[in-house]
Amino acid sequence: MPVADIRGLTVRYGSFTALDNFSAVIPEGCVGLLGPNGAGKTTLIKTLLGFVTPASGSGIVMGLDAFRDGPKLRQRIGFMPEQDCHIPGMTAVGFVAYAGELAGMPSAQALRRAHEVLEYCGLGEARYRNVETYSTGMKQKIKLAQALVHGPRLLLLDEPTNGLDPRGREEMLKLIRSISHGKDVNVLVSSHLLPDIERTCDQILLVYQGRLREQGMIEDLKRLAGLPVDVQLREVSDAFLREVTIRGMTFLGMVGSTTYRLQAPVTLEESAARVFDAARSAEAQIRGFEKAERTLEEAFLEAVHG
Amino acid sequence: MANAPIADLSYRGYDGPLESPTQRWWVIAKTNVRRTFKNKWYWVATITSGWYYLLMMIIVYFVELAAESNPRQQGPFALATFMKRVIWVDQFVHGLSWAQIMIFVVTLIAGAGVIANDNRANALLVYLSRPCSKFDYVIGKFIGVFLPILLTVALPSLVYFLYGALSYRAYGFLSNDPWMIVKILLVCPLIAAFYSALIIGVSSLFNQGRMAGAAFAGLYFLTNFFTQMMVIAWQASTRVSRGVFRAEEGNPLAAKLYYASVDGTMIGTTKAIMNTDGSPYFGLPSPVAMIPAPPLVPMLLISGIVTFLSLWLAWSRIRAVEVVK
Repeated sequence: MPVADIRGLTVRYGSFTALDNFSAVIPEGCVGLLGPNGAGKTTLIKTLLGFVTPASGSGIVMGLDAFRDGPKLRQRIGFMPEQDCHIPGMTAVGFVAYAGELAGMPSAQALRRAHEVLEYCGLGEARYRNVETYSTGMKQKIKLAQALVHGPRLLLLDEPTNGLDPRGREEMLKLIRSISHGKDVNVLVSSHLLPDIERTCDQILLVYQGRLREQGMIEDLKRLAGLPVDVQLREVSDAFLREVTIRGMTFLGMVGSTTYRLQAPVTLEESAARVFDAARSAEAQIRGFEKAERTLEEAFLEAVHG
Repeated sequence: MANAPIADLSYRGYDGPLESPTQRWWVIAKTNVRRTFKNKWYWVATITSGWYYLLMMIIVYFVELAAESNPRQQGPFALATFMKRVIWVDQFVHGLSWAQIMIFVVTLIAGAGVIANDNRANALLVYLSRPCSKFDYVIGKFIGVFLPILLTVALPSLVYFLYGALSYRAYGFLSNDPWMIVKILLVCPLIAAFYSALIIGVSSLFNQGRMAGAAFAGLYFLTNFFTQMMVIAWQASTRVSRGVFRAEEGNPLAAKLYYASVDGTMIGTTKAIMNTDGSPYFGLPSPVAMIPAPPLVPMLLISGIVTFLSLWLAWSRIRAVEVVK
């Protein structure tokens, strides 16, 4: 069952169209919402939360109508906004417990659970400190904690690594990876940072200028047509190139100083057999053999610019 | 094993109960009330707001004491003469009127930052991403400010009423106006609602509690200054007749404009509901006549409109996203 089924969603801010007839089916698991700044990622999340009224379109999220069952839906969703946000004058544990109560948890349960999620997010030691005294990294973590407190089945994370130093970013990515795998929580991560999406998500939705440009498993998006392979030799060998060509393989180019990209209209196993046979004949030493892939950045640029 | 944390740091889902996503406003209100009650200055202001009643009790106590020691006493402070001058319902009008400054202080404590600080900390994103609507938010904040102010307004009056009902029955405390308690119970929530709505509206305009507080104080004192000018104008326009100002001869426009301020509106509404112009403070002899009570319906209308408009202002300012047009 998909987490969300969005059809023909159009959102306008005055004359500016932020989402233009946007349609997508968001599957279960950890999904990345990838796109440059201003692509419409945050608008999509805020529309699903009911913050923005769409000009047209429909959205079913977790089996509920996003625009009619707002309160019920928000009870099942956890949202970590892009901006710093907290309730002023509260300690971390007070803030997270309050967020739980706002979601409908009884106060005793909310307090118990606040302690749990703060420990999980690595803020156990600082839970009695006023949130306003927190560093940027800690503020990001507490935003995650408040989103998790009521045990949502869907977590919407908007630019979760914003403003974090490398260590903080590493910790945040680990947390997202951990929460989205094997915990029965679906996660939608919105980011313009490709490495973050690649590290945490299994699937992506590529958004550009308010439209969905590409969607699928990250592996599939990185896959090149025709099953090319990258063969790394110990040193450049013209004899090897001759031998592979004789065996019906096409040389696509060099992707490193000693790495050849080759392609043949056969299976991966057959390609491997031909490559090793050619290397034996050319007396070339193979250092690496792998299925050729493009980077996520290349896939992104191709989807955006065609 | 030696490095293993004692606490269980793994994530577990929450399968416990979740209340229906209605009445989230009560959670917001409860938190605001709790936070205000933790402020010691709130309690100082609440207790201080009953100073008129306290002074009245002390005066009556000493007048009674003097009467006990000298039963045949004469003059304005003789027990019978003094008690004849005291109109009990007017004491509540005075008590509530003099409490206005403390109600103003409590309003600042309970409400100045209530929305302004949320604006600064983007807290709306936390509220509105939960099953809370704008309605829940505004009403929750309103009730969260209303209840502490109500306590400040009502507590001294009710304590004084109880004390009076037990101690001054013989002096006509209950028989003067049998509806007095009903009127008090009507006036107190009205005053609390008026101040709560006003501070909520002002607070929604700012990003800092301090700025909202300063703006509310400015509004309060500027209008109060105008009111004081009207008092002077009205008293100057009354004619002295045998040393006593005669109310019926005062400037009627000044008498009406006297109520055109934050506290004046509430004093006027209180007088109108209590159905009295008021009498000299503490039942002491005074040549100064009180400004007549305004008509009830217009006062209720003005209070209602200001309350409604303030809440509407807060409502219209609350958005989870900045919409650029």
